[in-house]
Amino acid sequence: MEKTEKQDFLSMDRRTFLKVVGAIGASTFLGIHRSQITKALELSKTKVIWLHGAECTGCSASLLDGGNPDLSQAIEKLSVDLAFHETLLAQQGIFVDGRPASTSELNSEILLDEAIEEGNYILVVEGSIANGPEGSGKYCMYGERTFKDIFEKAASNASAILAVGMCAAYGGINSSDSDLKELTDFRGVAYLNENPYGGMLSELGIDKPVINIAGCPTHPDWVLLTLAAVILGKIDINNLDPVLDTYKRPLVFFPADNSMHDNCPRRGYYDRGILDDDFSGKGCLLKVGCKGPYTRSDCGLRKWNNGVSMCTQAGSSCIACCEPGFPDAASPFYEMIEDKPLAYGMNVGTMSAIGVGAATVGVAAHAARRIIFDKYAEEHKEKLEE
Amino acid sequence: MTRVVVDPLTRIEGHLRIATEVNENGVITDAQSSGMLFRGMERMLVNRDPRDAARFTQRICGICPTAQSLAAVNALDDLYEVADQIPKDALVTRNLIQSLNTMASHATHIYVLWGPDLVNPAYKNILDTVEGTGSALWKELLSRFAPISYKLNGESVAPGTAYIDGIKQKKNLEEALALMGGKMPHQMSTVAGGVTYRPSLADIGKLTAYYHKLMDFVDGSTLGVDHETWLENTYRASSPQKAVNFLLEHLQSVVDRSLSSNNFSQNAGWGDLELISAFGSELIGEKTLGLPASFKLDRTGAYPEDSNVGFLTYGVFYDVENGDGYDPVGFGQTSFQPASFINSSFEKKGFDHKYITEETTHGFYTSDDALHPFDGVTDPVTSASEIDFEGGSDSRYSWIKAPRYNGIPCEVGPVSRMLAMNEPLTTGLMNLFSENGYSAVNSFTRMIAKAQELLILSEQFLKWVTVDLDPNGKYYVDPELKNAKDSRGIGLWEAPRGALGHWVKAGSDLKITNYQMVVPTTWNCSPRDANGVPGPLEQALMGTKISAAENLLGVDNANPTGILHTARSFDPCIACAVHTIDLTEKDRTPRTFTIV
Repeated sequence: MEKTEKQDFLSMDRRTFLKVVGAIGASTFLGIHRSQITKALELSKTKVIWLHGAECTGCSASLLDGGNPDLSQAIEKLSVDLAFHETLLAQQGIFVDGRPASTSELNSEILLDEAIEEGNYILVVEGSIANGPEGSGKYCMYGERTFKDIFEKAASNASAILAVGMCAAYGGINSSDSDLKELTDFRGVAYLNENPYGGMLSELGIDKPVINIAGCPTHPDWVLLTLAAVILGKIDINNLDPVLDTYKRPLVFFPADNSMHDNCPRRGYYDRGILDDDFSGKGCLLKVGCKGPYTRSDCGLRKWNNGVSMCTQAGSSCIACCEPGFPDAASPFYEMIEDKPLAYGMNVGTMSAIGVGAATVGVAAHAARRIIFDKYAEEHKEKLEE
Repeated sequence: MTRVVVDPLTRIEGHLRIATEVNENGVITDAQSSGMLFRGMERMLVNRDPRDAARFTQRICGICPTAQSLAAVNALDDLYEVADQIPKDALVTRNLIQSLNTMASHATHIYVLWGPDLVNPAYKNILDTVEGTGSALWKELLSRFAPISYKLNGESVAPGTAYIDGIKQKKNLEEALALMGGKMPHQMSTVAGGVTYRPSLADIGKLTAYYHKLMDFVDGSTLGVDHETWLENTYRASSPQKAVNFLLEHLQSVVDRSLSSNNFSQNAGWGDLELISAFGSELIGEKTLGLPASFKLDRTGAYPEDSNVGFLTYGVFYDVENGDGYDPVGFGQTSFQPASFINSSFEKKGFDHKYITEETTHGFYTSDDALHPFDGVTDPVTSASEIDFEGGSDSRYSWIKAPRYNGIPCEVGPVSRMLAMNEPLTTGLMNLFSENGYSAVNSFTRMIAKAQELLILSEQFLKWVTVDLDPNGKYYVDPELKNAKDSRGIGLWEAPRGALGHWVKAGSDLKITNYQMVVPTTWNCSPRDANGVPGPLEQALMGTKISAAENLLGVDNANPTGILHTARSFDPCIACAVHTIDLTEKDRTPRTFTIV
């Protein structure tokens, strides 16, 4: 496919487009962008290369649970060529006496190299990238090379990068506090936790458009609908700022102006000051550690596993698995955030004024939380720009 | 001698490298299994609130996160001294959550990860040599098991029906799990003290509906008979011999119906399991049923006669009927699937976790003592030059440690659990194989044991939902956090892939001082130990022929199906296997635990 000026990955006539949108149920998402569909170019395949670094494969497992669209629908209706995905494809790496054997139909390493060589693909990264030890990247290797090397090649030739899940987006659990953190030196694609210059792209000096699909794991809709929007040209990859937040998350899924708490199924209990002291009740979970008021996600509306449930609905406090500081920012998971000295980089003293006592006037308290939340984002932005 | 390396072994969780030496007859003579990733993940748990462990450890593995969280809560219940107070309905819910995770993981493995190997191009070449039957069978296999984005000779092949339906069932089962756990992967419900979820009466109806959706799939695709008939005649057969007889007679009738017409469709009685059973095994397919071809999976992944591999299971699923929760000293005696150590002569012994050690003489670690998990030390090499996978069997070549039970490497997983349960079909097939000069455990028995376990658990799931779960019951007790002071806990459980143990210690500030996990793939994909004894997968590879159907069409090192079948039959999960912990604190008060 020829690159257009705006580098839309796929363009199609209006009729085909509407058919596709209807089929994948993406119209709501696309509607939010209020984009015009005017191009009438020919239909072609969009190539996707999906790489796995240091991860648990939970985001791929989540992808297989996708509902609207599901994975095979998305691939078929969006005309995606899933050129490489280690967990799903038939191929594997084969070396005979040190040389890659056979062809790309059997050998995943030949397949991957050929796909990268051809270029013009969306790179999806799942898992973080080891820089350790000593900048070698050798704490994560496969196919006879480091993942850092594979990532460098794949990122250099990509048209855009989707960092899927917390590990790829921000380092995730691999980058949480421990005495090994500096040694292993795991990085997200563009970020290291909240630092937008700490990712592997900066380390390697590569400049590419990046979208961070947060979540541990990420929601299949967040991945597939973002992919759909990019493929359909509804997101212009060369002008991402209007559709992404400070942490490069799509605003439509991670809204700047409200939190998970706003649409929590247990919100009514909060408003009435019914706060549970332990689990398996039905009240608000704030006192057992819920971080919902500080978490930007549409979980409360979208829900998980084909709309079946979500964490707080099943009685568990939210652990803010969509926030760049996860898991440290939310840990200990079962202590009230007001009891922590520092949360989201902020002094909790300033938050404590709206503590449990105020929850009986929940509406007011919630408004206060919102203000603090937004203030934090602003402060943080300034800090990063310094 | 040719060096054949599969790196990465795809369609598993994580990054695994298998390096082999293959002789001029196409037989694997040496093998090393290498985990390729080091995250040092458990060190993150040190100094944290122990309750966080049930959420952190799930992030080790997105395929069996539930098992990690349950091993963690067993350890935490022990740590907080609430293990004997967990309410019955919380135990039922934990059972339901784990059984769904196991079934979803098995469905994913059978259909999405392992199944595509049945359409390896080598089998097309082999089936081309069998007139009529060969091409009909190949078409059928391709239409069921082709994976996504599959190409043959440059032609795109549509994903198979069984492959797509397998994904749908995985989704179905995870939706059921999400109902209780909020979401999957990384469900949120299992916490120290019980579960956070409380079902409504409507939820029980929904859970039953998910079960029926699964059984519609089983009856329509997986089996050529209805599941009740199958379980009645296999799982509940009066002897292993009777279970095998049922299988063979059933298969014979299906074969007789279709061989002349070359019809291998569902309509002719060929469920996915019938196809795998008849054409997967040389002994069953060619020698017993008289089929003209088989993939001879019973000749791959077999242990040599003088193998030194035991079979280990810690036991799983609380005995809710008798109100028995988790007891770190006695767990596994009354659990639905019991604990057992079975030696290489298939003699059943008791299980005692104090016999577990891990060592790292062939791993990229600097401390090599064989230590019990409570005393384990993990110090990764810190310079790049020390990480080299090319050194062969005498070198350090993996991030996976070498766990041993009383010095013996052990296979863990469905085969071990079915053996401990005396499951008639699995044990009957093993008898059949050993009586006919085959290794009792091989790639074929591993897959049948897995499918059989899925069916057994589905039935048990229904019982737990409809008989044992009480929406008005109690689901949580608040643990006394100060009980963790200078305390420790043991969490034993079974992941879909096998025995999973967590060991936790807390200090005077109630925070974690040490956390150790020994996970299934560490057992199965272990490297050599200090005595040079290879791990189970390594032993299973040695003696296996490198190419399809016992090198039937000659030796093809460029398509080493022998490695692929054998390694994938263990359902490796590498992210789990390579996460080990720094345990520098020595035991203060040694205790002896006797289990069984």
